[in-house]
Amino acid sequence: MAELLLDPNIRGWVFLPIVVITFLVGIVRHYVSILLSTQKKVELTQVQDSQIMIRSRLLRENGQYIPKSAFLARRHFFNNEETGYFKTQRRAPVTQNPMSDPNMISEMLKGNLTNVIPMVLIGGWINWMFSGFVTSNYCFSIFLLLFIFGRSIKINYNFYFSAKVPFPLTLRFKPMLQRGIELVTLDAAWVSSASWYFLNVFGLRSIYTLVLGENNAADTSRHLQDQVSGAAMSMPPDPKAAFKSEWEALEICEHNWALNGVDEDLLGSKYKNVDDIDMYSQSSSS
Amino acid sequence: MAGKIRTKQDKDDVIAYSEIAVRNNSAVVEYCRISMAALSGGTAGVLGLTGLYGFGFYVLATISLWMMILIKAGGEWNKYFVSRRSLLTSGFFSGLFTYVLFWTFLYGMVHVY
Amino acid sequence: MAGVYDNITWSEARNVLRTWRENSERQSRDVVYIWESILKQHVDKLGNEKFLVLEQVFLAALDCHSLNLSEKCLKILMTEFPGSLRVHKCHAMHLEAIELYDEALSVLDSIIKKDETNAAPRKRRVAIYKAYGRIPEAIKELTEYLKKFMSDQEAWHELSDLYLQEQEYGKAAVCIEELILHNPHNHLLHQRYAEIKYSMGGYDNMLTAKSYFCQAIKLNPNNIRALYGLLLTVNHISLSQKCPASKKKELAKLSTWVSKQIDQQYKLKNSNDDTNIKQVEDLLAHLQLEV
Repeated sequence: MAELLLDPNIRGWVFLPIVVITFLVGIVRHYVSILLSTQKKVELTQVQDSQIMIRSRLLRENGQYIPKSAFLARRHFFNNEETGYFKTQRRAPVTQNPMSDPNMISEMLKGNLTNVIPMVLIGGWINWMFSGFVTSNYCFSIFLLLFIFGRSIKINYNFYFSAKVPFPLTLRFKPMLQRGIELVTLDAAWVSSASWYFLNVFGLRSIYTLVLGENNAADTSRHLQDQVSGAAMSMPPDPKAAFKSEWEALEICEHNWALNGVDEDLLGSKYKNVDDIDMYSQSSSS
Repeated sequence: MAGKIRTKQDKDDVIAYSEIAVRNNSAVVEYCRISMAALSGGTAGVLGLTGLYGFGFYVLATISLWMMILIKAGGEWNKYFVSRRSLLTSGFFSGLFTYVLFWTFLYGMVHVY
Repeated sequence: MAGVYDNITWSEARNVLRTWRENSERQSRDVVYIWESILKQHVDKLGNEKFLVLEQVFLAALDCHSLNLSEKCLKILMTEFPGSLRVHKCHAMHLEAIELYDEALSVLDSIIKKDETNAAPRKRRVAIYKAYGRIPEAIKELTEYLKKFMSDQEAWHELSDLYLQEQEYGKAAVCIEELILHNPHNHLLHQRYAEIKYSMGGYDNMLTAKSYFCQAIKLNPNNIRALYGLLLTVNHISLSQKCPASKKKELAKLSTWVSKQIDQQYKLKNSNDDTNIKQVEDLLAHLQLEV
């Protein structure tokens, strides 16, 4: 395996800047998405539907804590054939095509603007900017030159590399991490600037949680998770289907009163010494 | 441990957890874990660990953090967390990314050039 | 309470207010005091937080009925955010405080017109009716609100209180049931439900009340109110003619158990004061004899 000798200037002008750039771009993206985000306008019926879904789910989950008559009354309210809420409420089926809704389009555009485009742009820029490198004392001027004239000077394969991962990688990784270089003897641990950038993108995700707090916009993966778990809380996409499934779930829900025998429970757990109690009742009534 | 609210039922050892408290606890633990990953990654980079030693160091750090959390929670860890094992395993891989980043970064800064 | 906040710097004061705001603690008197004594001089150092603090101080001032201060805050907010619905709501609250209820109602209506999904102004409307003393109207307004926002726990609680004022125990019980569904492990709700059932009277309701008092005690064995409630309920049930003789023994057992629990609670609370315990024991003996 060939060992490479890298110029210390690469550290200062490539290795470190990539980290800083990636980090700052993440921060900027966070604030830009805050700027761009508009409060979603919700319809009153949507609010109503989502709240009734919560209520019915709670009835299924915690229904055993209320008396049977109360449970049945509530189920009647939701499920009765003629007057039940789930039966009588008619909601217009939601348009399936999101493109027909202009709000949706602008939302999607904003999402792309803040998530995908910076990632691709910065990745491409870093690939273009930091890939060919002259290892000399004139690094800074070359850096500027590269900045201005683009990737016109490329001296040697050596200068592709900016980082070395401290663990051995199998040869499988070579085409991915060392794209464009066919040096068989070179250790796969040497990686190009672009690879180093992507390592940064993934590794800094959780750092954003520390810096910007939970649920920040810079962390795209978490964003997606929120959307999935938050779907239950916000409005179901199609109220009609949601009502129907909720109606079914409620219909088969049985009521076992959780408070049955709670008084014996109380006595059973603490009322162990019967003689003691008898003495007490005698003394208190005497 | 900032979690404080939890209710407990005697009957049949049914334990009801307060969702807010559980979420708060897991956020705090997540915070610790990310910090741990970054710090231990930095340490491994400065020490110049390579290969399996580095990954071993990460596993060691994760387990020691887990132990520290459990010691902090005392004997009543189940008051604060639903499961002991998920405390160890959850976020292992996202932490690994951070660890590798810091490891590579400081290794590169100190040892490569 | 004033002395505690005498010697703090403005940044500490800001932090105190911030924690209260985040935990939604009212602490109105302290907020006003901190504002008057410290933060007032440093408004411009607060930056963007200034307006949040102003809103907080405004609400606190309303609580303390210092209308001059609240008007000052409101004026700044109004000039800064003339179109904000949130400030409009504050405006309505101020009108409410100076008892211009009709004007407040019209402001609230205009907010609701602009943003139908905004829950706060609808709730304020209820509060205004309540301030008028027109409880039935408040109830009507609140039920309308709850038809739209069915999982608002605060509103259910308020509705139950309003029904209790009107002595509609059955309806109040329904509201508490709703709260129990949301919060099945809150002993206070169980206790409240049992109390309402007890007030409704009748044999079946008494049995329900008994179960819910028991549940409240199970969730929190120190709930002295539930213990007393259970004692009364059990005694009441065993006095009833409908109660089968076979059950009476069980009830007596429960009754003695409860009285012992109450006794223990008092012993724990003031272990060095014997006269109090003596009194409680006498009281309990009295209750026992009634059975």
